[in-house]
Amino acid sequence: MSPPLMALQWAVNPGSGVPLPPRWGWYVILYFFVGGLAAGCYAIAAALDLAGEPRDRDTVRTGYLLALPGLLICTLLLIIDLGRPERFWHMLIKSKHVPALLLKYWSPISLGSWILAVFGLFAFVAFVGAVVDAGRLRWRAAERAVAGVRRLPSGVRVAWLALGILAGCALGGYTGVLLVGTTRPVWYNAIPLGGLFLASAASTSYALLLLLLLRRGRAAADPALVKLSDADGWALLIELALVVLLLLMLGAVARPIVSGVYGALFWIGVVIVGLVLPLLLHVRHSERSAFAGLRGRAVLVLIGGLVLRFVVVMAPQWPRVPPWHL
Amino acid sequence: MAKGFYTDTTVCIGCKACQVACHQWNGLPAEEPGERELTGDSYDNTGTLSALNWRHVKFIEQIPEDRHQNGFLDGSRWLMMSDVCKHCVHAGCLEVCPTGAIIRTEFDSVFIQTDVCNGCRACLAACPFGVVDIGSDGKAHKCTLCYDRLQHGMEPACAQACPTDSIRFGEVSELMALAEQRAADLGAHGIQAQIYGKDDIVGGLNCFYLLVDKPEVYGLPAKPELPSSNVAAALGGSAATAALLAITGAVSFRKRRMDDMSRDESAPEDEP
Ligand code: SF4
Ligand code: SF4
Repeated sequence: MSPPLMALQWAVNPGSGVPLPPRWGWYVILYFFVGGLAAGCYAIAAALDLAGEPRDRDTVRTGYLLALPGLLICTLLLIIDLGRPERFWHMLIKSKHVPALLLKYWSPISLGSWILAVFGLFAFVAFVGAVVDAGRLRWRAAERAVAGVRRLPSGVRVAWLALGILAGCALGGYTGVLLVGTTRPVWYNAIPLGGLFLASAASTSYALLLLLLLRRGRAAADPALVKLSDADGWALLIELALVVLLLLMLGAVARPIVSGVYGALFWIGVVIVGLVLPLLLHVRHSERSAFAGLRGRAVLVLIGGLVLRFVVVMAPQWPRVPPWHL
Repeated sequence: MAKGFYTDTTVCIGCKACQVACHQWNGLPAEEPGERELTGDSYDNTGTLSALNWRHVKFIEQIPEDRHQNGFLDGSRWLMMSDVCKHCVHAGCLEVCPTGAIIRTEFDSVFIQTDVCNGCRACLAACPFGVVDIGSDGKAHKCTLCYDRLQHGMEPACAQACPTDSIRFGEVSELMALAEQRAADLGAHGIQAQIYGKDDIVGGLNCFYLLVDKPEVYGLPAKPELPSSNVAAALGGSAATAALLAITGAVSFRKRRMDDMSRDESAPEDEP
């Protein structure tokens, strides 16, 4: 029998054995953030559009106007993040068998590329509609197209908007699933991440719409704003619950996210600034029925949403990828 | 007809002939331009598998706490292992690659078509062994199992160069039988050896190892995972969240409407 090896001191080479960080940095973080906003703004606008209350028309138009530019920014961010940006189209088309399409629905990145493309269609239609509506586009063809669409049976419109909302939800949530679809510790284990990013997409989108409507001089007590603010409260509550669920499910694996500098950012930036404070402000608001810093609350929510994506993307890649990596 | 490597770590002498042969055949430069970094870690000076190192010889020094326990350095071991892409039966990298750049060849090996890869880096985070890496050309690189040589009936360069036959190339089932035999022979001499890469490791590795210690000691994960295992659950969670958001959104939107409606209804009564 060979000598007992139990008490041996050994040094493991720092070689392979742990899934590598993919070196996703700020392009991806911003993509996740802006993508959530584009998806959320569209879905909220479409939902209000479906409800069809005249006083929400401003909200609907704002949401529709935001979705397409947001989506274009996302596409740009994704393309410059590639090692070979000129080959971005390889994501959708089999480059060796043009024009055969390529979809691997079990691969979140492949699925996500298609979600972006499909969502782009809805965002584009909504954008053109909103611009024509606002009387900004005096182009006959567009006006006639919009008028034609208006004449469609309402069932078609409802189905179209419902599908658009679905596409929005897919875009808002898949970014979290994309991280789960790796073998990198923390991401791999973070099953509630898709839901968390989706809830955050909703809360940040409500916040952005509120901010823009406030800027336009709408009163905080305006029913159109109050309903957004109420829905934002709910989204924040769901988000907070998902954060708790995530931490419970991760257990000890959560360490990179909850300790150290990233941990400080997580607790202060995500939990306190992004969730607890806005929720407290919201409760106070409805109790006193007085306007308590709706604008401040919206800003806090937006900051929290960005910090959430920063911490979740970067902390599990530390220390091989520095926090400022693009 | 799956082809692969059987790497018998018990006969590896750490000469790195495999690394050199791999660099030569595949035209891989010694390093990225810039400073030469020495790891200071045993005889290792490449550190990891990378875009430029598709073979990596690991040196694991096991030395007792008390070196004079039973005579000087008695009970110490120096383990060596030539690491490589495992050409997994269920390959995480292939699973996630959104461009279809990563394919399974007629030899059942996993091959990256660099003319298709667009550098999204999904495969880096998907490989449970940390094998694929992105090169300075913005594309993903790893061992090809010498696809070009196989197509011409040759064996991979590393296997041909290995002077101790620590790396053997061939039909996976035949190699596995060889490894089983070797493990049994070692067992008869009181040396515990186990195969890493049977079906229990992500469905089997076409390039597997014979180890004399726990996989973690060699920097191999004891229970590697597939990137897709949790995706369905995560999608379900997202769908449930979407439903919750839709319900709470509808409640908030509706509630206002009801409140307004009740106010509207009560309004006429206020008027005289
Ligand atoms: S070891 Fe990694 S890179 Fe090699 S086939 Fe398996 S998953 Fe792909
Ligand atoms: S980096 Fe290249 S090989 Fe890797 S997943 Fe992306 S496209 Fe595929």
